[in-house]
This record gives sequence, C-alpha cells and structure tokens, in this order.
Amino acid sequence: MSKEPGKTLLKMRVNGKAVEVMVNPTWTLLRVLREELRLTGTKKGCEQGDCGVCTVIMDGRTVNACLVLALQTDSKEIETIEGLGTADQLHPLQKSFIKHGAVQCGFCTPGMLLSAKALLEKNADPTLEEIKRGISGNLCRCTGFAKIIKAIQNVHR
Amino acid sequence: MQRFQFYNPCSVEDALNFLAEQGERSKIIAGGTDLIPGLRLEEIRPDFVLNIPEINPFSGIKEIDHSFWIGPTTTFTEMVESNLLSCSFPALVRSAASVGGPQIRNRGTIGGNIANASPAADVLPALLAHGGELELQSKRNGKRIIPLAEAILSPYKTCFRSDEILTGIILKKLEPGTRSAFEKLGRRKAMARARMNLTLLLRLNHREEVSELRIVPGAVMPVAKRMDRTERMLLGKKPEPLLIEAASKTLAEEMVEVTGARWSTEYKIPVLKNIFKRMMKQLLTV
Repeated sequence: MSKEPGKTLLKMRVNGKAVEVMVNPTWTLLRVLREELRLTGTKKGCEQGDCGVCTVIMDGRTVNACLVLALQTDSKEIETIEGLGTADQLHPLQKSFIKHGAVQCGFCTPGMLLSAKALLEKNADPTLEEIKRGISGNLCRCTGFAKIIKAIQNVHR
Repeated sequence: MQRFQFYNPCSVEDALNFLAEQGERSKIIAGGTDLIPGLRLEEIRPDFVLNIPEINPFSGIKEIDHSFWIGPTTTFTEMVESNLLSCSFPALVRSAASVGGPQIRNRGTIGGNIANASPAADVLPALLAHGGELELQSKRNGKRIIPLAEAILSPYKTCFRSDEILTGIILKKLEPGTRSAFEKLGRRKAMARARMNLTLLLRLNHREEVSELRIVPGAVMPVAKRMDRTERMLLGKKPEPLLIEAASKTLAEEMVEVTGARWSTEYKIPVLKNIFKRMMKQLLTV
C-alpha cells in the first residue's frame, strides 16, 4: 500500500438524504460537512472537542464533528442544523430561541440547538439540572446561558 | 494531519490479521476523542488507522457467572445508561458520567480510556479499584487475561503488544454489602480534565470493622494505583473518626511518595485528605 493514499468513497445519510462523497482518510466529518457538502451551519471552533460548536447528531446521539473521522461515518445517519427546520418552518426550538433572545453572536447556536434537540428526544420534560447537563458540552462565549436554558425549558409553552 | 490509510475491518479476525501484518505501523481508533486531537497535532504519526467501533462483538455489557464483561467499544454514555452496571458498580458509572460532556461521552469508549492510559483518565482509577482485568487478543498468541493494575506502565504507555487488541474488560462481582463512591474535582463541572478524582470501595463485617477497603486516587499520579498502606491502616479496625483522620494523613503521604513535591502539592494534600474524609463519612452513613 502506498504512503500517499487516494480518496475513498464515503456513503452516508445527511439530513435524510443519501450522500456519496470522495474523502481523504485524514478528513474529519466536520471538514466533509463544511467543505465538501457546503453545510456551513455546523461551525468550526476549537477542533479539539472542547467547544461543541461543531455538534451534529449521529445515529441519534450528539457528537463533535471535529472528533469523528469522515470514514468512521460510513452508513451513518447524520443530522445537522440544516435539517432542523427551514426559514418558513422553524423547529419549535428555533422559535423558542428567537422568542427568548437566546441568540447573541449566533456561533454556538447550531450546536446548542442540536444538543437541546437530542436532550428533548430522550427526556421531553427535563429539569433545570438536566438541561444544564445536556448542554454542558456546548460553550457560549457571549455567556448567554440563562436565556438559552430558558428557551429550552419553555419550548412547548 | 499526517497522511494515513484507514482500514475498516469486517470482523475480529480481520482486525487481528491486519494487526499481525501492520501492528507496528498502526493505531487503533475507537471513539477517537483522544486519538484525533493527537493525530491533528501530529503527536502520533501512524501509517494505518484501524477502525473498531463497527465490530459488533466489541460492544455491550454482559453478565457471565460471577463477573461482568464490558466490550471495549462500549461508550461512556452506554455505561451510564446500563442498568446492569448502575446496580452493580455505581462508582464506576459515576466515573463514566464525569467524563467530558455529552458529545464526548457519546463517542469516547472504556477501551479507549484504558488504551490511551492518560494519567487524568476518569474511568481508569475506578476500574482499578474494582479489580478490573483485561482480555487481550492477537493472531499469534490468542487470548490472554491480565490485571489492569499491570497493564499501564507509564503515562500514555500500556503493555499491549502492537499486534494485540483489547477485546474485553472483566469485572468480578463485588461481595454483597460493598459500598462504593467516586468523586471528581475539575476546574469546572463539565468538560474538565480531572485535577483529582478518588474512588473508594468499602465493606464492613458484622462487628462494623473494615473487612475490605480499596482506595484509588486518580489524576494525581503518573499511573493510578491502590494506596496499600492507607488501606492496611484501616483493615480489621473500626473506622472511627480519629482513625480516618490519621488515615487521611497517610493517604496524602503515600501520594507525595509517588509524585514527589510539586508546585501543586500544597493544594493537593489538604484537598485529597478532605475528599477522602468526606467520602468515608458518606459511605459509613449509608
């Protein structure tokens, strides 16, 4: 086998659609989403798994897209912020974030929304502590946590 | 990242065959939460990356006779969600729950935590306290089982051979009446690298004397280990407050014997003593 390997075909599902893309073995899921599929709603932050801005849902669980090699996602189901709602039809969490002023600079928002979605899918009525724990892998550097938590608490009210 | 080739084995046998040929030039990837940052910084430069999370026999938690078997690619989230583990090893489950944030726990694995052998690994000290054993397998030598306590040689270094894979973690059931506790101290609640953690296992006999005690501090020593001297101080005796106070002093001394004096020692001594006393108190009031 050569030292300079070529690209490999990756097949996965992104936001419900089958996707095929040629990827380099060193690429992360984050790179494939942003640069190959042009789904730039998933943000690139620390690239060490500390900040959570690249959070996506993989087979029902949140992951940091910067900490998954693209080829590890073969035949997986990926959900990004682009799959959450549309401009005309926002997801209830997106509406609640707007209503409660939970968006400041917006950089952490996609990741926050996906962590909140994964949390609510498991636990429809989380306590304050459970919400805090649910988004503990997502940093908001504007420090707007109070409103983000309120938006998640009141999503169905 | 330096270039590498990615190999996705279809079975345990396929993975073992691959490592028999290319083990020296390979790195095994499970959740990747430690490995990928290392690859990115080029601290590790393998020619091949062997992907094991898709190998089914490597994941899951089973009860076998008097032990539990945990598959190496079982994630921290799966450990936390396991009723089997929560009932039998609550301290171990608490250690898994203390890892990173949800995204890291969803991806990071128990096998990866062991094989990476970070001095700050959250689950390692708890596994040590529970007397964990590791099942390793290679094409050349088949299976072997070793105590976890012998597997970690130095920070980030294990005794695993390059053609071997960790294929299971074995925990013997605890004696009835064993109490356990785990505490982690980080700079913040979530996403924190442990500054210190402590796992205690305690059992009293019918005379209320200590019949078993295991004490494993984590993240304060290059390699976590049981604090034998402190354990022996309490064995066979009633855990009265004065004795616990004295034991906490010995515990701190034992730690310093391993680490030597460092800039942080003045902080760590009183903190370790206090966490130990607090956890003993909790365990004795259960």
